[in-house]
Amino acid sequence: MLAAASANSALGRAGLLLMLAASVFGAIAVLYGIRRKDARLLKQGPVYAFLALGGIVLAVVMMQRALVTRDFSMAYIQQVGSADTPLLYNIAAMWSALEGSILLWALMLGVFTAAVAWRFRDRTDDVLVGWALIVMFVISAFFAMLSFGPADPFGAGAAGVTSGPGPNPLLQNHILVLFHPPILYLGYVGFSVPFAFAMAALITGRLGEGWLMETRRWALFAWAFLTIGILLGGWWSYEVLGWSGVWAWDPVENASFLPWLTGTAYIHSVLVQERRGMLRVWNLSLLVATFALTILGTFLTRSGVLNSVHAFGDGPVGTWLLVFFGLIVVVSLGLIAWRGDRLRSPGSIDSPLSREGAFLANNVLFTVWAFIILLGTLFPLLVEALQNRQTLVGAPYFDRLSQPIGLVLLFLMGVAPVLPWRKASTELLRNRLFWPAWCGAGALVVAVLVGADGWAPLVAFGLAGFAAGSAGRQLALATRRQGWRGLVGRANGGMIVHIGVIIIAVALASSNSFTHSATLELNQGEVVEWGGHSFELVSVDERTNDRQSRVAANVILDGGSTYRPAITTYLNMGADIGTPSVRTGLTEDVYLTLNQGAAPGDTTVTLRVFIKPMILWLWLGGAIMAVGTLLAAFPGSRRRVAIDPVSAPIAVDGPPSGSGADADADADQVDVDVDDVGTRNEAPV
Amino acid sequence: MASELNAKVKRWPGWVLLVFVIAGFLAVGATRSTGPASQDDRVDAIARRVACPICDGESVFESQNNASQAIRNQVQQLVADNDLSDAEIVAFIETRYGAQVLLVPKASGFDALVWVLPAVAFACGVAALVVVFRRWKREAGGMREPTDDDRALVEAALLAQLDEPDTGR
Repeated sequence: MLAAASANSALGRAGLLLMLAASVFGAIAVLYGIRRKDARLLKQGPVYAFLALGGIVLAVVMMQRALVTRDFSMAYIQQVGSADTPLLYNIAAMWSALEGSILLWALMLGVFTAAVAWRFRDRTDDVLVGWALIVMFVISAFFAMLSFGPADPFGAGAAGVTSGPGPNPLLQNHILVLFHPPILYLGYVGFSVPFAFAMAALITGRLGEGWLMETRRWALFAWAFLTIGILLGGWWSYEVLGWSGVWAWDPVENASFLPWLTGTAYIHSVLVQERRGMLRVWNLSLLVATFALTILGTFLTRSGVLNSVHAFGDGPVGTWLLVFFGLIVVVSLGLIAWRGDRLRSPGSIDSPLSREGAFLANNVLFTVWAFIILLGTLFPLLVEALQNRQTLVGAPYFDRLSQPIGLVLLFLMGVAPVLPWRKASTELLRNRLFWPAWCGAGALVVAVLVGADGWAPLVAFGLAGFAAGSAGRQLALATRRQGWRGLVGRANGGMIVHIGVIIIAVALASSNSFTHSATLELNQGEVVEWGGHSFELVSVDERTNDRQSRVAANVILDGGSTYRPAITTYLNMGADIGTPSVRTGLTEDVYLTLNQGAAPGDTTVTLRVFIKPMILWLWLGGAIMAVGTLLAAFPGSRRRVAIDPVSAPIAVDGPPSGSGADADADADQVDVDVDDVGTRNEAPV
Repeated sequence: MASELNAKVKRWPGWVLLVFVIAGFLAVGATRSTGPASQDDRVDAIARRVACPICDGESVFESQNNASQAIRNQVQQLVADNDLSDAEIVAFIETRYGAQVLLVPKASGFDALVWVLPAVAFACGVAALVVVFRRWKREAGGMREPTDDDRALVEAALLAQLDEPDTGR
């Protein structure tokens, strides 16, 4: 046993060391190759990336082996492992504490670095690719160092320990713990690729649109994984935590939401740069902010400076992350300032009432939103530092400030898709917005008829209908013209993503505004009616295995199936965890939780019941967003020649009128992707 | 013709009707009330504004421990008594447990910054947009419509090129 134990630890460390060495030497080799213009040396760049990947894979495999074989000679296994945790949660236990999360982060970095190296293996002599690889190597080296040194997951534990408590009980009773962290990390770490190319563009001075085109899909996929990861986190919270909510504005949740906000701003404003060659500094800043915020978020939640249910306690890791964050910000801003003269872009945006103008408004809103979330998250720290007292900034604050921003964004989602580039006339708007506006009115009417009330949700529903109308209009026009191809490409796939967002907005507005709850006393055999549903307690039973004992109330809902809200006691932790039982429906969920103190054989239980409308649509909307992103990443049709003069004067200044005008106005509206334009506006090096 | 009908519908009567429909339904929906909120809903709303005194940032609404349960019971009692408004109940909880259990920062003193700064940020964002659009407009204004002189110049240049085909590409 001892031999195997030291093998896990030794090989794991060897893997990390390999990643560290391969990353450092890879960076040096490529740098040297660029300086010497040595193609042979540059060709070796990808080899180092694959070596680094091999190293981190070895480390992760060893960690998993240690977890699965319950190698209690390692301190980390003593902390998160246990003799009776099922295999599934044992695998997930890797990311249930600090050291393993850093290891997971390093794994994602290894994967992305190798993917970049593979994708660009034929272009190793391109300095842009070379520098991007160097940046990826530097980031990889930092995380490998972090994992090898201050956050060592392979350290030896106290002697003689033969069992551990296992991961936090909350991380042991839902399959989503297996998917939520890796997918979220794919999103976090994925943004390092566009960041690396942005840095490479700054260093090489090739600040045209080339690097944007290269990383468009990388950014999209990172964004999609971040979106899915965040939603899976909400789903987990809903299914496991028992307070019937999906989002608590906890610092860790905010830490994942912040890069999502700046990333969303980025994937929109990047279109202005691709199309018009403008906003270069702004896009670089958004990308730097997105990547830096992922690091800052990790620092905030992994260093113990902020109290949070997710926080893993303090240690030297925090200091390292803070230093790295500072380095990223200083170096990036320094580079942007240094290249300032090349970043000035010619041309101007003609009118606020244009596609570009709408993207700018979107950017202001998303940036302000990100600022608010960051402010609210950091404010308790600020107060403590300056005034030495405790304050809290909680969910009601974030809700109150996010609501108006969300409404304005919905409105923008209604207007922006119909706006042409350059300039729109009121006549054109009147034409194109007519049916979307009626969709909004229709949504409002339906909402009022089914009984919704209150200003905020009704405005939200109306605006959601409006935005859906605009998205639907674009898709209808595109499919009428191009068939199934009208569903792919950036503009059309983007509209499908919009529809997913709108569905989520509607689901949030209704579940936040129209949730009802009650505390019900149930006596065995007696049917209780509440909120249009009937509840009947059949029995309270207990099921015990060698890991946990679960006291559950068997409740018949609406005379149909039996639901089992429960209290689970983990034997080696002594913690009582409530496990909700949910009946999911298309229009509403019935969410049951059992109050503490129930015992097997009880004939009376206290049940907390929540009726939450539209929750299912949160997850369906997320799925639609994922599909839309995939379709947006597909190359669209290339009807328009890619070298369309982007600064051509506006052909028709006056508004089109007459019966034929509608069709004409629509014709120039459907966007055509200008993928793979390559180095169209590339500035000479 | 369908498109002709479409264009006709989109003239101003369609929009006026739209405004009336939206205003009417919004007024009906927003002012009607589907009955007073149930006691449990009130308790939940208040519980969301109060932090669990012994845990890290969770509200009393989310938290399942005994301290939170105690506060929730107290809120429930106060709501059942029906003497105090929601804000008064929160104020009462504050006097009992201290300001650190409030999840919504106050709008006074240093804490007011957390409310003021977002407004400032928003104003800055809008101001920045106004400034850049002004500048762009000024720059675009610098480029006048081509005058007759400009056209003549271009024409002359083109003619010159035609005369000497060799100087072309």
